[in-house]
Amino acid sequence: MASRRATSRSTVDGPEQSEGDAVARRPSIGPIRAPRASRVVEENLEGLHVIVARRPEVPIVELRLGFPLAADLIRKPAAATVLSDSLLAGTVRHDRAGLASAVQRIGGRLTAGIAGDWMLVSGSVLAEHLVEMLRIVGEVLGGASYPTSEVSADRDRMAEQFLIALSQPDVIADEQLGRRLYGGHPYASGLPRPAALRQVSAAHVRRLHAETLAPALGHFVLVGDVTPSRAIDAAAGAFEPWLAKSPAAATAPLDPLPAVRLGPIQLFDRPGAVQSNIRMARLAPSRTDPWWPAAALANLIFGGMFSSRLVENLRERNGYCYSPGTSFDHGRAGSSFVIQADVATASTAASLNEIGYELGRIATQGVTGEELESAQRYALGVLSFETATQEGLANTLANLAIMGLDPGYLDRHSAALKRVKRHEVDEAARRLLARLQMVTVVLGDADQVGGSLALVADVQHRPLSVPE
Amino acid sequence: MRVGSALGHFERFTLRNGLRLLVAADRSSSLVAVAVVYDVGFRSEPEGRTGFAHLFEHLMFQGSAHVGKTEHIQLVQGAGGVMNGHTLADLTAYYEALPSGGLELVLWLEADRMGALALSEQNLRNQVSVVEEEIKVNVLNRPYGGFPWIPLPALAFDSYPNAHNGYGDFAHLEDATIEDAKDFYHRYYTPSNAVLVVAGGCMPEEVVDLAGRHFGGIEARPTPARRSFAEPRLSKERRRIIKDVLIPQPAFVAGYRVPDPISRMRDYAAYVVLANVLSDGDASRLRARLVHRDRSVTDLACVLGVFGNDTFTMRDPVLFQVVVFHPGIASTDSLLAVIDEELDRLAADGPTEDELARASASSASSHWRGLDPVLDRALALAGAEVVHGRAELVSEIPGLVKAVGGEEVASAAADLAHQHRAIVDLQPGGGS
Repeated sequence: MASRRATSRSTVDGPEQSEGDAVARRPSIGPIRAPRASRVVEENLEGLHVIVARRPEVPIVELRLGFPLAADLIRKPAAATVLSDSLLAGTVRHDRAGLASAVQRIGGRLTAGIAGDWMLVSGSVLAEHLVEMLRIVGEVLGGASYPTSEVSADRDRMAEQFLIALSQPDVIADEQLGRRLYGGHPYASGLPRPAALRQVSAAHVRRLHAETLAPALGHFVLVGDVTPSRAIDAAAGAFEPWLAKSPAAATAPLDPLPAVRLGPIQLFDRPGAVQSNIRMARLAPSRTDPWWPAAALANLIFGGMFSSRLVENLRERNGYCYSPGTSFDHGRAGSSFVIQADVATASTAASLNEIGYELGRIATQGVTGEELESAQRYALGVLSFETATQEGLANTLANLAIMGLDPGYLDRHSAALKRVKRHEVDEAARRLLARLQMVTVVLGDADQVGGSLALVADVQHRPLSVPE
Repeated sequence: MRVGSALGHFERFTLRNGLRLLVAADRSSSLVAVAVVYDVGFRSEPEGRTGFAHLFEHLMFQGSAHVGKTEHIQLVQGAGGVMNGHTLADLTAYYEALPSGGLELVLWLEADRMGALALSEQNLRNQVSVVEEEIKVNVLNRPYGGFPWIPLPALAFDSYPNAHNGYGDFAHLEDATIEDAKDFYHRYYTPSNAVLVVAGGCMPEEVVDLAGRHFGGIEARPTPARRSFAEPRLSKERRRIIKDVLIPQPAFVAGYRVPDPISRMRDYAAYVVLANVLSDGDASRLRARLVHRDRSVTDLACVLGVFGNDTFTMRDPVLFQVVVFHPGIASTDSLLAVIDEELDRLAADGPTEDELARASASSASSHWRGLDPVLDRALALAGAEVVHGRAELVSEIPGLVKAVGGEEVASAAADLAHQHRAIVDLQPGGGS
């Protein structure tokens, strides 16, 4: 490790230069180099879709196993939640602590959870111990035993954890928005309720394991310090008993998202709240729609990055809000666009008014060339970041696979972002950011905000049910 | 273990005005990260000005001699980058990561605000409002908001630097003046009180040239004298019950004191291993017993530091926190008794060889995963350099953890078991 003072070189201590020289002039930015390419190898192992990318920078391998959930499991999310939580509760060979020790001993990490409409098993391991890790994953996939007593403890613990989650105002607001936006679609269910979690049985979970964690339904991603062919051979060996199981029926595609029924703002009362959680949403283009790249850029300019119009207005100009923002939510059934702002109670109506103003402004007047260029560079930079680390690339590849998109999507999307013209973003803003196409939910102290909200919108007071 | 790369490697330079520069080049990367970390955190903010260090962090994004309000962020994002800042107990960090062609732009932006920050009354008032909304989102409007990092130090310590709320009281934030900001900036934001780290896709010679060009002309000012925050351990146990109508189930934290991480890093490492043995993973002692066997606890964690991400970027005194969320089936006292029992057992018998091996392997693994993102690498190096004066520490942590023996873990457990702790007990319901 070098340690030296470099004071002998005048450039280090610089300016004899005067102001207006190097210091006052803003440096230009160099060309954006394409992110380093990863060789991605795909393979089909008895129906299991395997994706391997070599990334040797650190001696770690990241693993992801994604499985789509059937509509019924999304509609009633308690069972899938217990399934994922009890997956590591024991196998025919190991109890819970035995599994955890085996994973930790090789510098591993292994978790399972539900991410909306799919289930994700996620892990990492020191590269030299990959084969042992694959054996442990294979043992879990083929032989998770869901001991009855463990499952009943896990479901009660999950009930307590979701009780805590469902007490958080941002979660409550998102839940109400989901109901409002998705209507009768399974996506409207949101998070599992504590009472439903307490009723899930071990027998049900065992049956779900066979139906949901079936090789032919799964996508297995490995990213890291691996040789793809060797990793695939090792997985084939380690997963053999599981791969040999009889193939499950394919998960039926989800119904597309229904058209949104527009209507007044729904105001949910949270007495004493010092902030209001504002949520606005609508359906949005999916990542395969031709106008998706333009919509993604319109979003960035409107509220999807810090230097966006919405942040400039609500935070930097008015100080109403710490972190307003907008984002897309892509599911297998379709995509939605959400605006979120947690604002001071006293500024609730004013904030809603400003959001409406910014929507109207971008939809009617479009964007500037400078905004578009910034958004394009930001979007490309973010894509580079998302794929620059082992962890980021693993998450990205798993996410694409679940959505039915191939790894080449990333390059196609980059190229498409670069090609988008200003008139296309203006058109996307007209389609995506039309204020009257949005549904709106506000969670806050209704006594304090109801009157002023009624000055700027139709307001419907709605009861807030306490999670059981 | 095989070393797959040299991500912890760097070169060190010092500019004539005292600014330290570390360059951790990784030519395989097309991204570059810049971190500027100042040796001042919320423990150093003046009395009567709680929250000022963090408020000041916000003001650093409000413009400088050649950069307008919000322009800093526009320029970084417009170059394809991300940026942010954060304020911890002993440091304040500013950072950017972007495609490497934007390196000079970012160095120019950081130098401009280190050399000539623009402060205005209007921007100060605006950011006081923004910070108040931040505190509402994260503390006041949220169940368990600010727990345990705000109430625990308030109980476990007596001196202002250690005990006060680093987010700040609204009255103090609203009293803050431009003069306060000028004084704080002049005193703490000097080149010699900062470390600049450039990591990722860059060439060291070029970074040295650019750093000299942009930071070299910043006037040298005295390095602020650093006061000791040391205060004695508690002479008897302290307990505070807080009633909160927002929370659906009880929680508590027990805070213990640990050795000085700067002068006694080897001893400190034993507490890092102890935390791992107690709460890391389903096989860990407290988790296996309380969560999975007794089923009296929903979730728990052992944390060294204020937030847990500051284990190696804090000076003495540091708290070892045992944080427990539980449904109220068991009383706080009975759960504390289990913690005591497990500490006594470890103190008497030490951890098993397997527990030590697992702690060592998981530490190595999280070390590598933590260094993979170029921005996290820059921040780790800068934090260690500021607080420990040794960015080398970043590469040494797995070795330090591996070197911890069973007897040292037993001593650490005995130290916790025998000292007087501070307990904040959060209970659902009204009143206080």
